[in-house]
Amino acid sequence: MQQKEKLSIPAGTSYSLEEGSPLVDGRHDDTMTINMGPQHPSTHGVLRLILTIDGETIVKAVPDIGFLHTGIEKTAESKSYHQALVLTDRMEYLSPLCNNLAYSLSVERLLGIEDQINEKIKHARVVLAELQRIASHLIWLGTSALDLGAQSMFLYCFREREVILDIFEMVSGVRMMTSYICPGGLQAELPPGFDQKVRDFLDYFPERLHEYHDLLSNNQLFLDRTKDVCKITREQAIAYGATGPVLRGSGVVWDIRKVFPYSGYEKFEFDIPVGSNGDVYDRYLVRMLEMEESMKIIRQALDGMPTGPYRVLDRKVAPPPKWQITGNMEALIHHFKLFTEGYRPPKGEAFVRTEAPKGELAIYMVSDGSPKPYRMHVRAPSFGNLQVLPVMIEGSLLSDVIAAIGSVDLMLGEVDR
Amino acid sequence: MVITAASTVDVVRETFPQAVVEIVESNGEQTIVLKPEYLLTVCAHLRDKLGYDFLETVTALDWLERVPRYDVVYHVLSYSNRCFIRLKVRVGERGEEYPVVPSVVRIWPAANWYEREVYDMFGIKFSNHPDLRRILMPPDWTTHPLRKDYPLSGFDLPEPHWGGQVPYDVDPGVGSYYEQSLRSAEGRQVDDPRRALNPNQEPGTLPQSNEETL
Repeated sequence: MQQKEKLSIPAGTSYSLEEGSPLVDGRHDDTMTINMGPQHPSTHGVLRLILTIDGETIVKAVPDIGFLHTGIEKTAESKSYHQALVLTDRMEYLSPLCNNLAYSLSVERLLGIEDQINEKIKHARVVLAELQRIASHLIWLGTSALDLGAQSMFLYCFREREVILDIFEMVSGVRMMTSYICPGGLQAELPPGFDQKVRDFLDYFPERLHEYHDLLSNNQLFLDRTKDVCKITREQAIAYGATGPVLRGSGVVWDIRKVFPYSGYEKFEFDIPVGSNGDVYDRYLVRMLEMEESMKIIRQALDGMPTGPYRVLDRKVAPPPKWQITGNMEALIHHFKLFTEGYRPPKGEAFVRTEAPKGELAIYMVSDGSPKPYRMHVRAPSFGNLQVLPVMIEGSLLSDVIAAIGSVDLMLGEVDR
Repeated sequence: MVITAASTVDVVRETFPQAVVEIVESNGEQTIVLKPEYLLTVCAHLRDKLGYDFLETVTALDWLERVPRYDVVYHVLSYSNRCFIRLKVRVGERGEEYPVVPSVVRIWPAANWYEREVYDMFGIKFSNHPDLRRILMPPDWTTHPLRKDYPLSGFDLPEPHWGGQVPYDVDPGVGSYYEQSLRSAEGRQVDDPRRALNPNQEPGTLPQSNEETL
């Protein structure tokens, strides 16, 4: 696709929200500044893009975020460690279990109980996190294909995601905001029939995934909209802080699950799909292939799932079972202390990286020895990826912005936190 | 030579002995505390000589009673060497409203938005930042929410959005209109601007003088 030569903006031109139009120096007379969002259907949340366009070519793009700012980091400082868990569900509301996992790992590192987490907990966490990855990618696939005009994909993807949400509901009683993975293990025992239900999903999902490939991967209309569109190079992706499929789409072989394994990922065999062009299509393919890798991991984790307690037995961290409370005084005291005050991790700090569906989700926890986090900082993958978006779309066509936003897979709840 | 976090610490300590304030290891993670004036030199060295090409995040910590008051925390990572390190800079003398830290945007462009977020949330300014303005809070906001002396809730902030008038100011569940009081995070009562309001006042208009209203 022929793209216009990228226009340069004179140095010293400042872009504030009020002053969006470029200098009037004769050359840029015909540029126009338009607003995309915050209520544009393709912005997947409330993202406002201030676009300066010359004809149909983007000269300058300035994202304006903060519409979903809810102060989660501030609120967490006033909650106990157990209460702050539910806030993490609401950051990236399409993959809450991955957020729970990152939060739990960071609190466990602060508490120094990482080696007490048994294999059964690790396997269960991996199964749930990978199911969540598939569910998140399905939403991305449905909505980004819908933006490009493939309406049926949207319905198909939500149909498959519903099966995964049924599994979550079976496990935790809640479809989305589960808070099921908690510091110290899991909230409850995995229900009977969980294994079979996940295996049923694994049995029929590859066939569906094949259908999606048939519908999109070689579809000429889809290829025209995605091939060689909104490219970023490997160097740009690294410099501007892209992670996850956006980074891998540009050819960087990097997956936190492989490089800094957590929760037992080092035991599972899987590949890292990597693109080469860094265009929208490569990011699409990376995510499609990641779903297959996730299924491989789930199958291995289910096959190797040992038995064992679903929480650590350290009563200073995890509450005792309910039946002990009526007969055992220590159990009652522990229960009371945990739910009135919570636990006190020693002073220190922990920075835990995980590979969330959207990229590198890291949580930086600082404890001052009190039962509340002194500081919880979330390194949200979408925040970094959104920074790359202007680099991606400047110089391309207005209609490609929609393809680019879809391919970055933004989640504004986590950008604004 | 294989570069690891531990060897990076040694290199920095040997190359820039005057820049290092302290080296801390916590939970297996290495932290180098630097003097602010040497931050850019050390960061450029880390990127160019030691392969730390990816800045993960910039954030800050507010230690309210400590002098200097703030830690600005950088997490950097090396894709080629598969290692990571944490840098800290301590700023904020007593009574200093807006401490200044040199911006690392020239070294890692990814720092742009993270430094804007730190400015927005903590009021720490970054010198030579290309576009230092608020990112999450509204552009006309005047205070910095993640500071420890910022209340968790409450309406006693001098913000233009509230302008001395509380939106939705009658909560039917809490006492009578004049008995309601506002609370800050610590539960202390603050001077209630609603007492000065005329109940019949049009929302969004300026309050009348007290003699007329009370």
